[in-house]
Amino acid sequence: MTRLLRVELRHNAMVLLLPVVVALFWLTTYRKTVAMAPFWNVRAASLQLNAVLDFAVSVTGTAAWMGSREARHRLTDQLTVTARPRWARLLVPWAATAIWALVVYFGCVAWLYAATAHQASWGGPLWWPVAVGAASVAAFSALGFAVGTCLPSRFTAPLATIAAFFVLALSTQLIHGSQSYWNVSPIVTGPWDMAPQPGVATFYPFAPDLPIAQVMFLVGLTAALLGTLGLPAGAGGRPLRLAAAGLTGAGLLAAGTAAGLAGTGTLGPHGMIDIPALHDAASDRPLRYTPVCSHTAIPVCFNPAYARYLPATAGALAPVLDQIAGLPGAPARIVQESVTYRQEPGNGVAVFYAGRSAGPARVFPVVLADQVPGPAMTAAQMADQAASMYAGGLVRGVIGDGPAASPAQNAVARAVLTAAGVRQLTISSPSGKAARGTDAPDSGRQEVAPGTTAYAAAVRFAALPASARRAWLVRHIAALRAGQVTLEQIP
Amino acid sequence: MTGIRLVRLYAVGRRVPFALIALAAIATGLRIALLGNWDAYGALQLPLCFEAAAAVTVVATTASPFGEPERVAGRWLPFLRLAVTFVLTAAAAGTLLAAAAIGGHLSEGTLDVLRNVAGITGIGLLSAAVAGSGLSWTGPTAYLVAGVYALYTRWHPPTLTWPWLWPGRPPHDLGGALCAGLVFAAGLAVITLRGARDRLGDGA
Repeated sequence: MTRLLRVELRHNAMVLLLPVVVALFWLTTYRKTVAMAPFWNVRAASLQLNAVLDFAVSVTGTAAWMGSREARHRLTDQLTVTARPRWARLLVPWAATAIWALVVYFGCVAWLYAATAHQASWGGPLWWPVAVGAASVAAFSALGFAVGTCLPSRFTAPLATIAAFFVLALSTQLIHGSQSYWNVSPIVTGPWDMAPQPGVATFYPFAPDLPIAQVMFLVGLTAALLGTLGLPAGAGGRPLRLAAAGLTGAGLLAAGTAAGLAGTGTLGPHGMIDIPALHDAASDRPLRYTPVCSHTAIPVCFNPAYARYLPATAGALAPVLDQIAGLPGAPARIVQESVTYRQEPGNGVAVFYAGRSAGPARVFPVVLADQVPGPAMTAAQMADQAASMYAGGLVRGVIGDGPAASPAQNAVARAVLTAAGVRQLTISSPSGKAARGTDAPDSGRQEVAPGTTAYAAAVRFAALPASARRAWLVRHIAALRAGQVTLEQIP
Repeated sequence: MTGIRLVRLYAVGRRVPFALIALAAIATGLRIALLGNWDAYGALQLPLCFEAAAAVTVVATTASPFGEPERVAGRWLPFLRLAVTFVLTAAAAGTLLAAAAIGGHLSEGTLDVLRNVAGITGIGLLSAAVAGSGLSWTGPTAYLVAGVYALYTRWHPPTLTWPWLWPGRPPHDLGGALCAGLVFAAGLAVITLRGARDRLGDGA
C-alpha cells in the first residue's frame, strides 16, 4: 500500500495545480490578510475564511478528476481482478490528493503565520481555525472524489468544483443570527456580517466552540463520503462493505450532531459564538497580561496586543494629561478596557462598553476605535479619535463640570481644554454612541458660548502661564468642584 | 450530407448534446437562484458562478476522444472546432440571458453576462491548450474565485480594479470588455489552430 501511495503521489493531478493554488492564496488570502491589523484572531479568521474557499475549489476538482480516472481510462474491469479490494484501491488516490493539498495548505499557513508573528506584538497562533481549514481540505477532496467516482464524465470535475464553491460561498446567505445551523459552514468564523474584530480573543481566551463543531462536521462528512465508496457490491467483501456502512453511518451521525450543535450556538459577550455543550467556562475568565504603559504624566496602559497604537494615542492624550496630572480627582492611570457584544435582530451585532466591573476607582477606562466595528484606521487616526473622545471626560473628572455645574466650572474646563489644544470634542455618551460638537446629546457638558462672560473667563484663564494656571487649580480645585467659585474669581 | 454527418459525429464525439443539456440546466439553476432574496454581495456574485459553470461546460467539449489520429486525418477539424466552440459560447450566454429575462433580474445586466461568459470561456480554452482538455477547468474555476474576490473588494478596499480581472469592473467598462474579448479571441484562435492538448483516453 505504501508503494501504491508513493506512485499515486508522483502521478497526482494536484501537483500540476500547486502553482494555481498558491497564486490564488496570495491574491485572495495573503495580500488581504497581511494588510489587516496584526492581531492573531483577525489574521486567523481571515485565513480560515479565504483559504478554505481557495483550497476547496482546487481540491474538489482535482479529486473529482482523480476519482473518475479509472472510468476515463476504461480500466475499471481490468482493475477488479487486482489483489486489493476496490475500496482500498480508491482510497489511495484520494489520500494522495488530500496529502498534496494539505502540504500546500500548511505551507501557506506557515507563510501567513510567519508574517503575523513578525508583526504581532502579543499573543500566539490560533490553531483551531487552521484545523478547520485542514479538515475542509480533506472533506472537499472526499466530496470531489466521491462525485468523480460515481459520475465519471468530462463535465464532472468542473461542475462539481463550481457547485462546491457556490454552496460554500453563498450558503452563508441563509445565516440569520448566531443560532443558525449554517454556522457549521467552514467559512464562518464568528457572527456573520461582522468582520473579524481585534478586540475578540484579546481580552478573553479564544473560545473554540464553533471550530470544534466545524471540525466534527467536516470529519464526519469525510468519513461518510469515503464510506459510500465502499458500499457498492464490487467494492470489496462482505466484512469490508459492513465496515464501509459503519463508517458512513458514523460519519453521518457526527456531521448531523455537529450541525445540531452549531444551531445551539449563541453570540457570547466576548464576541465569539458559544455552544453550551462544547463551552469551557475557563474561556470566560479574562486573560492575564502585563499591560504596556506610556511614560506620560498619567500613564496610558494598553493590552500588549495593542502596543503599536500606544505611542500615537499617548502622544495625542499627553497635552490633556499634562494639564490634569496631580490634581485631586485626576486618574492614576488610563487603562484600555474590553467591549461587550450582543446579538441584535437578524445578523446585527451591538458592540458597547459595559463599564468596569471592579478595580481601582482612580482608573480612567478607554476603548479604542479599533475595538468596535467600523472602517479600518491608522494608528494616528485612532489616536486623534481617542483624544477627541476622552479629553472632555478626563477634564470633567477633575473639574466636575456637567449639566449641573456652575458657569465657573464650565469656563475652567473649557480653558484647560483650550490650553491642551483641544478645540472641538467628540463626546462619548453612556450608550456608547459618539457625537461631535457642542450640542451633543447625553454629553453632560455645557459648552461655553463665545460672547458670554464665561467665555471671557475661559479665554483669560487659558492665557495664563501654565505654572500659574496649575497653581491656581491646585489651590482652588476643591472649591471649584463644590461650586463655590464665581466667574469673577477666575484669574 | 457528408458535411452534416461530419458535424454530427464531431458534436457527438465532443459530447455537445450533453453540453447543451448542461447549459439548459445551468440556466434553469440561475433562474431558480434568482428567486431568492440575495444581499448586495450575493446579487453580484451569484451570476458569476453560473457564468463560470456555463463557460467550463463549453470548454469541456474541447476534449477529443481520438487524439492524434483525428488531428492527422481531420482536414476540417479546425473549422469544426471554431464553429462548435463559438456556437456553444453563444448558446451559453443566450441561455443564461434568456433564463434571467423570464421574470428575473441580473444586477449587472446583459453586457456583464456576455463579457464574463466570453472571457471565462477564453481562459478555459487557453487552459485546454496548455494543460490539456481534462484540466481545462482549472483556469476558469481559479478565475471564478479571483473574480468573486474582486467583486468583494468593491465594498472592502483596497479595490482590485485591474481590467484583466473584469468581473470586478462595471459592465460598461471598456477596459474590462476589451480584456475579456482579447482573451476569448486568443482562446478561440489557439483552440481552432491547435486544439486542446489531449492525451488519448482523457476525454470521457
